[in-house]
Amino acid sequence: MSQPISSSLLKHRPRLRDLFITWLALGIQSFGGGSSTLILIHQACVQRGWVDEDEFVRLWALVQIAPGVNLVKLTLLIGHRLRGWPGLIAAGAGLLLPSAAVTVLMTAGFTVIQSQPLVRAAMRGVLPATIGLSLAMGVQMAQPLISRAYKEGTSRLAAHLVILAAAALLMAFNGVSPVVVLLAAGGAAVLLLAVIPVKKKPPAEEGAP
Amino acid sequence: MNPLTFFWLFLKASLLSTGGLGNLPFLHSDLIGLGWARETDFVTAIAVGQVSPGPSGLWSISLGYLTYGWLGAALALVALSIPPLLILGVAAFFNRLETNPLVQDFVRGLALGIVGLTLTVSLGLASSSVVDLGGVVIAVAALGLAVSKKAPIILILVLAALAGLVLYGM
Repeated sequence: MSQPISSSLLKHRPRLRDLFITWLALGIQSFGGGSSTLILIHQACVQRGWVDEDEFVRLWALVQIAPGVNLVKLTLLIGHRLRGWPGLIAAGAGLLLPSAAVTVLMTAGFTVIQSQPLVRAAMRGVLPATIGLSLAMGVQMAQPLISRAYKEGTSRLAAHLVILAAAALLMAFNGVSPVVVLLAAGGAAVLLLAVIPVKKKPPAEEGAP
Repeated sequence: MNPLTFFWLFLKASLLSTGGLGNLPFLHSDLIGLGWARETDFVTAIAVGQVSPGPSGLWSISLGYLTYGWLGAALALVALSIPPLLILGVAAFFNRLETNPLVQDFVRGLALGIVGLTLTVSLGLASSSVVDLGGVVIAVAALGLAVSKKAPIILILVLAALAGLVLYGM
């Protein structure tokens, strides 16, 4: 059974100042656009015990089906879960204010920055690294899902892998909306898991492997 | 230009879309239609969003600045901060339903789907940013370091920037 999203046992209830500073650091460090931001949020939250691996995946999935910028939604959601509305504001302001200011400054100086050979060279190193980091995050997010399915028997494991692979392939077609892919994956899980029984009764609590 | 209309166009685009670039088609047709933005503004804004810190979705702040100066950037920031609040309602809705086994299976499928999306999107980006052997080595090294959890992410990014300087800057 999966843990409900609402009832995570928070090991740490961070102070508002720590929440703000953590997100401020995330917002400033994450040069290279959204993928490095997501990777940094993932690392920071899991390391601090704010959310576990399993919850992070579900929050990130949930975030995809609501309007707006996904990383902003993720930030507000985690901030709200940790410290309510003040937490939401602390995390949101930490993420957005510095990075919005830098974005405007970079826009103003874009033609200058773009023509700097050293900046271009550094970015040519950073961009492939974000690909590797992003794949690593995919692997880490998959681990709790797959290990839980493994404990439920081979056919359930196979069903999980089929859904994962089908979502990956469907997304590879240009123009298919991620929202459609996710809703299809959810629907497929409901159907497949309804017809494939759990092999042995899973332990009551099994979050991270 | 009317600030209220400007704000409303950015807010509407964010409300009707999900993801960082989902608002692009709306802003593009509206602002180009009104003659408030040029094609090059969009190209520049999207490029800045890719390299600047924070979500790539902040590209609309860059667009706001290019088309309407600091006021435009501020209006765009406020406009993109409001729609994400709806996620609280979505999460609360799911929380109420989540003891239902069917909903649990659905959320499992969502989670599997997002892992699949992550892998595909990463590989898709690789086609444009990993263009030579050096890029492949950097990507694989970053993957290995991150999976082994031996190095913090920011260190990996700094090392990658240094590798870029050594490989391509000299």
